[in-house]
Amino acid sequence: MSRWGMVIDLDRCTGCGACISACHQENNLVAVGEEETERDRAFHWIRMLRETSDGPSGASVRFLPQPCFQCDNPPCIRVCPVHATYLGEEGIVGQVYSRCIGCRYCMAACPYGAKVFNWYEPEWLGDTEERANPDVSRRPKGVVEKCTFCHHRIIIARDEARAAERDLKDGDVTTACAESCPARAIVFGDLDDPDSRVSRLAGNTRAFRVAEDLGTEPKVFYLSERE
Amino acid sequence: MKTDETTIERSDFQDYALIRPIEEGGAGFRVAFTLLTLVLLGGWVLFSRQILYGLGVTGLNQPVAWGFYIVNFVFFIGISHAGTLISAILRLSNAEWRRPITRMAEVITVIVLAIGGFHPLLDMGRPERLLNIFTAGRLQSPLLWDVTAISAYFMASTVYLFIPMIPDIALLRDRGVWPHWFYRFLSWGWQGTPRQVAVLNRAVSIMMVVVIPIAVSVHTVISYIFAMTVQPGWHSTIFGPYFVVGAIFSGIAALMLVMIVMRRVFHLESYLKQIHFDQLSKLLLVMSLLWFYFTFSEFLTGFFGNEPSEMRVFYYKISGAYAPFFWGMVAFNFIIPVTILSFRRLRTIPGIFIASSTVVIGMWLERLNIVVPSLANPRLPYPTGFYIPSIVEWGMFAGAIATFILGFVLFARFFPLISVWEIQEGREQSVKETSERLKGYLPDEPSAARVR
Amino acid sequence: MELRTTQGWVFAMQLASVTMIWMFVLGISFWIIHLLRLSRELNDIPSASLAISMLAIPVFLLGASVLTYVFVGLQRGRETLGGSEGAVEET
Repeated sequence: MSRWGMVIDLDRCTGCGACISACHQENNLVAVGEEETERDRAFHWIRMLRETSDGPSGASVRFLPQPCFQCDNPPCIRVCPVHATYLGEEGIVGQVYSRCIGCRYCMAACPYGAKVFNWYEPEWLGDTEERANPDVSRRPKGVVEKCTFCHHRIIIARDEARAAERDLKDGDVTTACAESCPARAIVFGDLDDPDSRVSRLAGNTRAFRVAEDLGTEPKVFYLSERE
Repeated sequence: MKTDETTIERSDFQDYALIRPIEEGGAGFRVAFTLLTLVLLGGWVLFSRQILYGLGVTGLNQPVAWGFYIVNFVFFIGISHAGTLISAILRLSNAEWRRPITRMAEVITVIVLAIGGFHPLLDMGRPERLLNIFTAGRLQSPLLWDVTAISAYFMASTVYLFIPMIPDIALLRDRGVWPHWFYRFLSWGWQGTPRQVAVLNRAVSIMMVVVIPIAVSVHTVISYIFAMTVQPGWHSTIFGPYFVVGAIFSGIAALMLVMIVMRRVFHLESYLKQIHFDQLSKLLLVMSLLWFYFTFSEFLTGFFGNEPSEMRVFYYKISGAYAPFFWGMVAFNFIIPVTILSFRRLRTIPGIFIASSTVVIGMWLERLNIVVPSLANPRLPYPTGFYIPSIVEWGMFAGAIATFILGFVLFARFFPLISVWEIQEGREQSVKETSERLKGYLPDEPSAARVR
Repeated sequence: MELRTTQGWVFAMQLASVTMIWMFVLGISFWIIHLLRLSRELNDIPSASLAISMLAIPVFLLGASVLTYVFVGLQRGRETLGGSEGAVEET
């Protein structure tokens, strides 16, 4: 069994936002439009947080691409009244869109704000719907969704490996955001495999996790000289 | 307790004032009913917009995913503690002044539980999937605890309202009030025989004890929705007792508001006297001080700990965007009521009306202050959220209030707002019983003659 | 008296209402037990589920029992004769 995790190198990240675009394309996320963004309903599975801080050489900005941290001890699954969000066997916190009743308790409980809600029916512009990714299900209005570590890619890669009668090896599967990052700041892989890039980087001295003291055991590690 | 009392046939019935609205009806009822139904329908029309287009028609967003519906959910269920405190605890402690009050208190409880319990449905993104709660519900979720606790409380309080109503329903049945079949159906064959009286009293005694822990657990469980998360401002152990105290507080205030209005509308001045309001005001004053103590403890602990995410929420409430609501809450819940209720000269009916209204508004603000600031100040460096409720949310809030008033109007049209048989019991038996009881408190006479 | 002629169907309605309340209460109890079994299947934290059900089910059963007690008690305590409804006892 694998345990999927991610490492994001903040010293490489330029804040370009390619990961966000790729995620939108891959997972059939529809842009909500300017008016809805003004109302604070921007809709991303991976979002770009900006941290400004004052240092000895003046103010500086750091970009934090933040997907769902896929916690090993998720606060969100404990509060879901219908078992629509659950911790899968491989460590991915899943979301069952067809069972979600849209109570948004998991959104209120997530300390990282990783979940997004479909306030309206997603509106595809022009003919973009024809180019949607058939591997990812569409969500209706009124359900909660979030980053899935491109779970569909894992399933496809595993099928291909099984067809070729070999095991999945490191590098066989990667998420859309990791694949598209021009600075190669995002690395995805199996944390249970001690030889994978992800495991080795997660053990780096520069590695930290956000709000670890909450006990959520997030599986996204950040690398940074600071903090 | 009750003597072998058969049905009252006299037309110059002593407590006729209590049943005149039922026997004579009136245009007032029709006007009120029409107006309130219109407001309620307006609320439903707005809700249908939400069903059609999605929750986007509200002012909710990321990160403030919860707003008016959850605030009103907690608020209305909080008011339900009116019935329990007054009815059950006062009955348990043999407080005689509760007689004209218990029925109204119990009615408030049943109505607001129905309204409040319905609000989570209004808040759902996919309400048609409600049955998932029944087929795939997870008992470890605080929301499920809520569903269970609120249904238990609703059942218990409906039973607790209905059973003491039976003698009054039988009274209306015997006076031939329309609709005859309705009162006959509900009166369950009551005749006032000693056996029946014994059965009724025993049942009421059981319920009044049982309903108190249920009521306490309901609001504690509602507080757990917030306290069981790890969000700053929510994850606090004081929430359970805090919510219960707040609920009793808002419940008494709502009860007094209802009493004052009903007293004026139905001319019940001889039944709801200054002494009743005095007693309830003392309770309200105590609850206001208790509320302040809990609020102070909550905030002092947070402030002293100085934990960054807690302090962001703290300053948002004290001096940030929510300062008007926070300080408004303090003024309405503490400063104004304590000022008015502490001084006898101010504790007039109009003064109590003002104090109760401010408490009801202040407690609504308290719910708002609990729900929104913690959501608007996320842990991660995300810009502070904001929440501006939309017309849909305001409309549904108005609809909920209209439903409450409508429920009351309908109840008053068909049932006496003051328990007729309990007033009669008070008049005929309790005076003697109470003086016997008081003599029992005094030291015993040294001579042989014991007063019994 | 008017009571006599309509007593039959009124009593039937009353009995039906008490029956419906029992159905409601038993339904809720079975639902909670269903959720208990589900939570054991899913390996949820057992404490919360057990505590809630141990409190809730008795409360519902008590509520229905009290209502039934009142209903039966009132019928049996009647002093006038009625047609086909409950037992009549001499006091």
